[in-house]
Amino acid sequence: MRFSLNFVKEFLEVDVLAKELASLLTMSGIEVEHFQAEGNDWVFDIEVTTNRYDWLSIIGISREIASCLHQKLKIKYPKIKRTRLLKEKKIIIEDRNDCSFYVGSMIKGVTVNSSPSWLSQRVQHCSVNSINNIVDITNYCMLKWGNPLHAFDADKIEGDIYIRRAKTDESFVGIDDKERKLNKDNLVIADNRKVIALAGVIGAKNTEVDERTKNIFLEAAVFSPLTVRRSRRAAGIDTDSSYRFERRVSADYLEYAVGCAVQLIEKVGSGQFMGICAGGSKSSLKNKKITISLSKLNDYLGEIFSNSRVKSILSNLDFDVKEISRDKLTVRAPSFRFDVNREVDVYEEFSRVYGYNNITPSIPFLRNQIQDDQMYKFKNHLRRILPLLGLREIVTVGIDGEQNLTKLEQKKCITIVNPLKQQDNALRTTLLSGMIKSIKHNLNRDQHNVKFFEIANIYFKDKNGYCEEPVLSMGTSGFREDFFRLKGVIEGLLKYLNIEDINFIDKGKPNFTNALRVVSGQKEIGFLGKLDKKIGEAFDLKEEVYFSSLDINFLKKLHKQKKYKSVSAYPIISRDISIALAKTVKFEDVQQIIKEKAAQLLSGVSVVDVYEGADVPKNCSVFTLRIFYQAQDRTLLSSDAAVLHDSVREALAGKDGIDLR
Amino acid sequence: MSEMDKEYKILEENFDKECQVVFSSRQLEDLRVKYLGRKSALAQLFSKIPELTLQEKGVWGRQLNILKQKITTVLEEKSRAVKDEEETMDLTFPSYGKEMGSTHVLSAVSESICSILQRLGFVVVEGGEIEDEWHNFAALNIPLEHPSRDVFDTFYLNVKEKNRGKYLLRSHTSPSQIRVMRESKPPMAVISPGRVYRPDEVDATHSFMFHQIEGFAIDKDINFSHLKGVLLHLVQEFFSSDVKLRLRPHFFPFTEPSAEVDISCIICQTPNSELRTKNSGSKCSVCKDKGWLEILGCGMIHPNVLEACEIDSKQYKGFAFGMGVERIAMLKYGINDIRLFYENDVRFLDQFT
Ligand SMILES: [Zn+2]
Repeated sequence: MRFSLNFVKEFLEVDVLAKELASLLTMSGIEVEHFQAEGNDWVFDIEVTTNRYDWLSIIGISREIASCLHQKLKIKYPKIKRTRLLKEKKIIIEDRNDCSFYVGSMIKGVTVNSSPSWLSQRVQHCSVNSINNIVDITNYCMLKWGNPLHAFDADKIEGDIYIRRAKTDESFVGIDDKERKLNKDNLVIADNRKVIALAGVIGAKNTEVDERTKNIFLEAAVFSPLTVRRSRRAAGIDTDSSYRFERRVSADYLEYAVGCAVQLIEKVGSGQFMGICAGGSKSSLKNKKITISLSKLNDYLGEIFSNSRVKSILSNLDFDVKEISRDKLTVRAPSFRFDVNREVDVYEEFSRVYGYNNITPSIPFLRNQIQDDQMYKFKNHLRRILPLLGLREIVTVGIDGEQNLTKLEQKKCITIVNPLKQQDNALRTTLLSGMIKSIKHNLNRDQHNVKFFEIANIYFKDKNGYCEEPVLSMGTSGFREDFFRLKGVIEGLLKYLNIEDINFIDKGKPNFTNALRVVSGQKEIGFLGKLDKKIGEAFDLKEEVYFSSLDINFLKKLHKQKKYKSVSAYPIISRDISIALAKTVKFEDVQQIIKEKAAQLLSGVSVVDVYEGADVPKNCSVFTLRIFYQAQDRTLLSSDAAVLHDSVREALAGKDGIDLR
Repeated sequence: MSEMDKEYKILEENFDKECQVVFSSRQLEDLRVKYLGRKSALAQLFSKIPELTLQEKGVWGRQLNILKQKITTVLEEKSRAVKDEEETMDLTFPSYGKEMGSTHVLSAVSESICSILQRLGFVVVEGGEIEDEWHNFAALNIPLEHPSRDVFDTFYLNVKEKNRGKYLLRSHTSPSQIRVMRESKPPMAVISPGRVYRPDEVDATHSFMFHQIEGFAIDKDINFSHLKGVLLHLVQEFFSSDVKLRLRPHFFPFTEPSAEVDISCIICQTPNSELRTKNSGSKCSVCKDKGWLEILGCGMIHPNVLEACEIDSKQYKGFAFGMGVERIAMLKYGINDIRLFYENDVRFLDQFT
């Protein structure tokens, strides 16, 4: 909202600098975002919190300034001419829940003109466009008292005034020239034939005041905040009027706003007041009494306040304060304060004015019945390990396109009812798309060596409705990156986590060439693979990408406390075997045979040499294995090792596709 | 001087001279053959010994052996020196590359804030990102249809509704805290870090996904002064010990009283800020010369919230606070565009290694 200092001066002498005023207001809860000079005036952009409808008017702002400066407002209340009743029009309110009070005033013989400069300045300095003298007067009075008013061209109204819900598909053209289809969510003002306003939101073109207008029907009303909110949302519009109604408008100043407008129309627009007609009733509810205890207030804020300090601060805010005992006060907030209902609301008002910054900070002794989230700890553990393996953490957004996602993952997407963009309409079922985007971003900027990981949730539909699971994804691309390096990273991670019984199973994965599934017992906990060329092309990737995804819930379950196992003090005997392996046999098979034959005396196997060159047979890989034999309880004799090694050689030689060299 | 003496002298002198100009193992091998080989001058001298008198035999035998020993020793030393020389490489050649990983700056900032608070006695509880209307709004004293909800605009999900209202992506981490309050009994002090979502159009300061850390403490004697103490400790630990705190009255449906919290500008209000030079002279671009930077919201937990969580609001009080991790990271490191966090440019990530 924007207000002007000259406007405030209609209620109050202000003799502080604009800068001081801005800081006073900010520290009392009306945050001044910006202020600047406009001619001989100052305008302030402020943020009014949703609980303080009363600050949406100059009188409300002035009251707050007066309280900050310890002054009193000088209010000249306009005369209320409620005696002259208008017989010619009836006000019919369909539902008092939508509109509790409606007052129409008839002013005849006006001259519609441009506003005098003081008036146009007033409204313009509050960010309201100057239209003509009549419209400006209604806006001036709304700004001043907080009650929105609307002026109709009385001669364009046919018959009585109805405040009712719109019929389905009833159409409406506003003074903004836009046509809208209405429905039951819209409260309208209508005459006997047509809709003449979207109640509390905007007037209709058909009854707009223009330079030919002679007679004015001036509306003031109290509409239900919820009704106006639904109505203006359904109509897709937000106005100064609906903004105020949504935050609640009090009937307290309604008649002053009307009186003020009528006087001005008579004076500035040379019209003549004819009388009023009304519907509903002006309910002016007094706020209820709240009993507060001084000792509780002290406990709440953590500081000792004197009885007199509390009384003086609350009284200065126009609260009605009575002392019951040394500890107890009864407090009644003024009627324009809808937001003060419970003791804590009074504590808030007191501490706000006393100054939050005057309360001494102290450190509490915090007690807990609960413990740290183990999953949080585990994820942080992963975040520490993965950088040690050379990976960089990335963060990508959890929303993606359903189309993209179904290309990458079979899980069923959860879609968004109200997406920002149609192409980002679902929650991700895989971290792959974010990984592809991040790698692509870097490749497109000539950053070719990437090793990334991300820890985030995936979401999908399941039989219970939905599922949300934490996942670790890893992606690599570039010079020196390949399948086996990524496999090594996973092995390293498992080592750090002390997870042992994991197998890599060569079983395909859609969208990946060369994929291995990572399996523990019967459970698949993830996979790694090289991204399929087709997918790469579909996402416009210019390089090979290796990707792995692991289920964090499983990793956490399998992750074991480390425990020391004694290292054998007896010597190791190693023997080499050179093997030519046909494509039909996997390294895994070789390993399996060695494990079976060497059993307990086997302490390890490693590849020590790989041959390449002309003498390597086609469709074969040739390499040398070094097998380590060791006993836990004695020195292994070389003759023992030889026997064992011979049986290994024999078993290997007996297998089709394995040639010993 | 005898012939033998002469030859001996020449041999010794030549060897000393030639040794000086040997730089490779190959030259060294030639030298070895020349001086110690079967046809070497030394071998020839040895072959002359049988022709000498008995007395000379003894003298020359010893002398020649000493020379042979000397040549052998010198050649061995020379050989070691040459090998060292040959192993020396061009050490200015680039390395194989640094295999450095890193955590994302948002994780690092979040973790650092959480651990400051953990040391004060808070425990960390994460929650789910898919929530329902009750936990995201109603329990927090936010009416479903009220202007106070407008700042919590929300993505709704096509998931079949159960008894707690429609499903949505949480627009703050508070629903996770509501779950803790309902599932456990006070006293408690909990922080919840995590991702949140709001349908904001993306620009330099807005993203539809961002990260929050919210915290609360509930006990019989918790008060507003404690809230201030905890926040002051947090910002001084995280930013620097000379940072000042300012609380401005504000409104949140779930706290009463509520405040927005500013810290003194870490650029223009801190005497020795490293970031200061960027702006020296002109107007402070970070705080727009206000001197203060808004960093979080806080307050005393509204009794309606305690009651929604079945906590007796007559017995227990609590405070709560919440902050955006991106905003804090941007202030701390002088990052000027929120989108940088999610692009994952290696040149960005690398700076927080
Ligand atoms: Zn600054």
